[in-house]
Amino acid sequence: MPTQGSRIYPEVLGQLLEMMNERLKQLREDFDREIGLVTTETEATELRDRWVGRKSGLLTAEMKTLGKLTPEDRRLAGQGLNDLKTYVEAGIERLQLGFAAGREAEQLVRERIDVTLPGRRIATGHLHPITLLREKIEDIFVSMGYTIEDGPEIETDFYNFDALNIPSNHPARSWQDTFYLGDHLALRSQTSTVQIHAMQRRQPPLRVLAPGRVFRRDTPDATHNPMFYQVEGLLVDRGITLGDLKGTIQEFVHRMFGPETQTRFRPSYFPFVEPGAEIDYSCFKCNGTGCRVCKGSGWIEMGGSGMVHPNVLRTAGIDPEVFSGFAFGLGLDRLCALMYGLDDIRLLYENDVRFLEQFT
Amino acid sequence: MKISYNWLKEFVDHNLPVRELAAELTMVGLAVDAVEMVGNDYILEIDLTSNRPDCLSHLGVAREVSAITGCSLKMPVIDLKEKGMPTTDITSVEITAPEFCPRYTARVIKGVRIGPSPAWLVARLESMGQRSVNNVADITNYVMLEMGQPLHAFDLHHLKGERIVVRRASPGERITTLDGEERELTEAMLVIADAERPVALGGIKGGEDSGITGSTVDVLLEAAYFTPLQIRQTSKALALSTEASYRFERGTDPELVSLASDRAAALIAGIAGGEVSKCLVDVYPHRKQLRDARKPINFRRARYTELTGLEVALPEAERILRALGFEIEAEVAGDLLSAKAPTWRIDISIEEDLIEEVARIAGYEHVATTLPGSAGAGNYLDGESGRRAARRTLAAVGYNEAISFSFVNVETDAALSDAEDEDRLLLFNPIDETQSHMRTTLLGGLLQALERNFNHGNRNVRLFEIGKCFRKSDGERPLELERLALVATGARNESDWLAANARLDFYDVKGAIDALIDNLNLPAANYAATEKSGYLHPGRAAVISIGGRDVGLIGQVHPRIATQYKFKQPVFIAELDFGDILTAQKIEPRYQPLPKFPTVVRDLALLIDTGVTFAAIESEIAALSIAELVNVMLFDIYTGKELPDGKHSIALSLRYRSLDRTLTDEEINAAHGRIVKRLIETFGAELR
Repeated sequence: MPTQGSRIYPEVLGQLLEMMNERLKQLREDFDREIGLVTTETEATELRDRWVGRKSGLLTAEMKTLGKLTPEDRRLAGQGLNDLKTYVEAGIERLQLGFAAGREAEQLVRERIDVTLPGRRIATGHLHPITLLREKIEDIFVSMGYTIEDGPEIETDFYNFDALNIPSNHPARSWQDTFYLGDHLALRSQTSTVQIHAMQRRQPPLRVLAPGRVFRRDTPDATHNPMFYQVEGLLVDRGITLGDLKGTIQEFVHRMFGPETQTRFRPSYFPFVEPGAEIDYSCFKCNGTGCRVCKGSGWIEMGGSGMVHPNVLRTAGIDPEVFSGFAFGLGLDRLCALMYGLDDIRLLYENDVRFLEQFT
Repeated sequence: MKISYNWLKEFVDHNLPVRELAAELTMVGLAVDAVEMVGNDYILEIDLTSNRPDCLSHLGVAREVSAITGCSLKMPVIDLKEKGMPTTDITSVEITAPEFCPRYTARVIKGVRIGPSPAWLVARLESMGQRSVNNVADITNYVMLEMGQPLHAFDLHHLKGERIVVRRASPGERITTLDGEERELTEAMLVIADAERPVALGGIKGGEDSGITGSTVDVLLEAAYFTPLQIRQTSKALALSTEASYRFERGTDPELVSLASDRAAALIAGIAGGEVSKCLVDVYPHRKQLRDARKPINFRRARYTELTGLEVALPEAERILRALGFEIEAEVAGDLLSAKAPTWRIDISIEEDLIEEVARIAGYEHVATTLPGSAGAGNYLDGESGRRAARRTLAAVGYNEAISFSFVNVETDAALSDAEDEDRLLLFNPIDETQSHMRTTLLGGLLQALERNFNHGNRNVRLFEIGKCFRKSDGERPLELERLALVATGARNESDWLAANARLDFYDVKGAIDALIDNLNLPAANYAATEKSGYLHPGRAAVISIGGRDVGLIGQVHPRIATQYKFKQPVFIAELDFGDILTAQKIEPRYQPLPKFPTVVRDLALLIDTGVTFAAIESEIAALSIAELVNVMLFDIYTGKELPDGKHSIALSLRYRSLDRTLTDEEINAAHGRIVKRLIETFGAELR
């Protein structure tokens, strides 16, 4: 059955729609005014209940009046009312979000801490600078195919001197220079002793790196300790030349100090090598231009080296006409002093935590 | 060795500027440490290796320059006129100790006028850092610096019998040397004597009352060769080192003796006047044997390349060796040289020595760098991964790595170790008596380090050390045992400002060891209280064992020992047989399925006798074999005045879980009840 109004009094009905629109406009103005007065979250909730509450909301009631209209008008008025409802709900939601944001902001302010207070650091320890250097050197040589070996720190005359071609009247053998525990037992005075053990244990090809403690009867001062660390390298194979020694050392210093580091070999004398060479490397501090670390020369002495003396090879049971080899040695304490700028190497073995904590 | 640039030029007419000369010498093995300008001259400071005593003179260095530059060596011009009587009519020389003095020469210059040296001679000596004495003494020094042969001048008339006897000293014999010191001699020492008494320590220093004085008229000039070993030993025994002994103990040239004597005699006659006696008295008993001992050595060109990687033409090798004074015979067919070393080159005996000679003059800088081909993979020392893990774990839990000397004070070591006195190794020649024994424990070094740290005001100290300890054994060598030790004292964590007052204790060190053992992949350590250690607090010490094997000790330093060290705060230590730990059987990690069913936690607080150990409680619980019990955690120990004497409250957290179902309350209550009952019954505990 058609609704009566629209057919019978179209002009009256037109007025009704107009009134409805008027009313919507009024409501929107009322809402705008009321929302402007809200200052608390409770008032916002009240505002929502009054306008869009499920049971008593103003707009809910307004919706119920739409039944009086013709379908065409109801559609138009309904749309207007829905628009208003969306407007109101959005306004209230904005309001509530604002209050929530404020509430969160307050909480964050309350929870603020002083980030500049010291961190509760787990007190970690430090490895000894000698260990740090030794491990770095070991890593480099292991990657080049060397096997790390060690030997006893208490040695016989044979390993400490005889087998290294050190003559029986050599000053290094004297009681002034070497610590003795018996007539033929001494604290090793160089890690070169490991060369002999290694060559006796295994036949060439041999690549050995031997880091370790050595002992000399020096009274401690800024540049001496009666105990220090050396690293000895040995390579024995067929056809090994002085060029191989140079190349190996160059590779090592490149990895240790950087690829710009230069090496220099100059003739020198050590009883267990022939030909012998002193190895210098360009100063890591000034790159060879001369500074305090290298005493102005641009070069730093690294240690002794050379082709393994045929007497040493023979003593270890290796035929020097078939095999040749090179050996080199370097002092870790000195290297440590140079790298870290130590002016007194006694500090290395005094174990003052203020010293030890400087190295990582 | 100081070398004058100008003086050197008298023997080799090179044209190298001083800097280049210094660089060239350095690169042939004569390291020039410094160049100093003195007047219109430069003085080069050369750091000579011990094998090159032949370069302890200008002539020796000039020979090197000659080999480097190719400029020929010019020997000093010796204008000697022997006008006097035959030397044998004036004096005689007898050698009774040829093992110490294989050659002794003497000649006499009569009618000299001792006086100041000419300005040029004074200047030269002064540029070498030497003081002018008088013309004759200066000339002997000059010739030594020029040719390397030390000389000595006697006043002929101060020699009893005006003759020379070269002999061993009699035991207890005494001599007053030129420096005014009276020295007692032994049979192992050589003296130059006259008919009655020693007048010089041969090759070291002259005697006080036989030397040149202002009134000397007739000079006996000594030039001799002394064997190095005796000189070194006498010089060391008497703590007397001179320019002469320095050269003789390294090795001079026995063949240079007469030439140097000629040179000095000619200079003396020229500068101080006088007549040189005819014919040197030259006692040289074993000359032939010494000469024959020099054998020719082969230099094979192929071997040279094999060892150095350098190429050399045979004529160039010959040129170098000849310039250095070698006598050469070329064997072109064999592509080799046969070389006889000059008498001043005591360091040459094998082919490799010749190879070095040629290579160093050719220049090591020309050796091309090569890398030897691969010979398989490298490898670390056995146990190194364990050592590295241990170091890093201990550093991560707050310990700094220490390194101490291997020799220690015996009392300290004995107080901190179970080694018997007869196991200890004694150094025959320690630097000082407080470092006379090889350590048997690392604890001595660590406690000494702690003492030092305390002295420097460092009160929070945690240190560890890994190193070898030593004990006697029946084998060829003593035992070297790798050990690991810790010391800890002071604040638990100085940077924790909420608990800045917390001091670390036994359980902190125990925790560090547990972390270490866990990171080494070993089964958990067991700790058993011990009162047996003499250096640990008997109520705060434990034996550490792994898999039933004792591996070390942990505890608080015994108060008696702490008092000796004047420690004012508790100090905790531990030491492990690290070698055993590194080789112990490791756990192979296997995956355990993660639990599918929930874990239920029940807490339990017991009032219990303080004498009941945690281990005892654990084992009582374990004895019940409750499959659902996952673990027992201690979360509090409370001691308070309101608790009865001798009791404390232990709070445990017990976790229950089943592998195959969710446990019911009833099941858990039953299990938990059994545990509570057992603890109450066994220990007389009460629930709190």
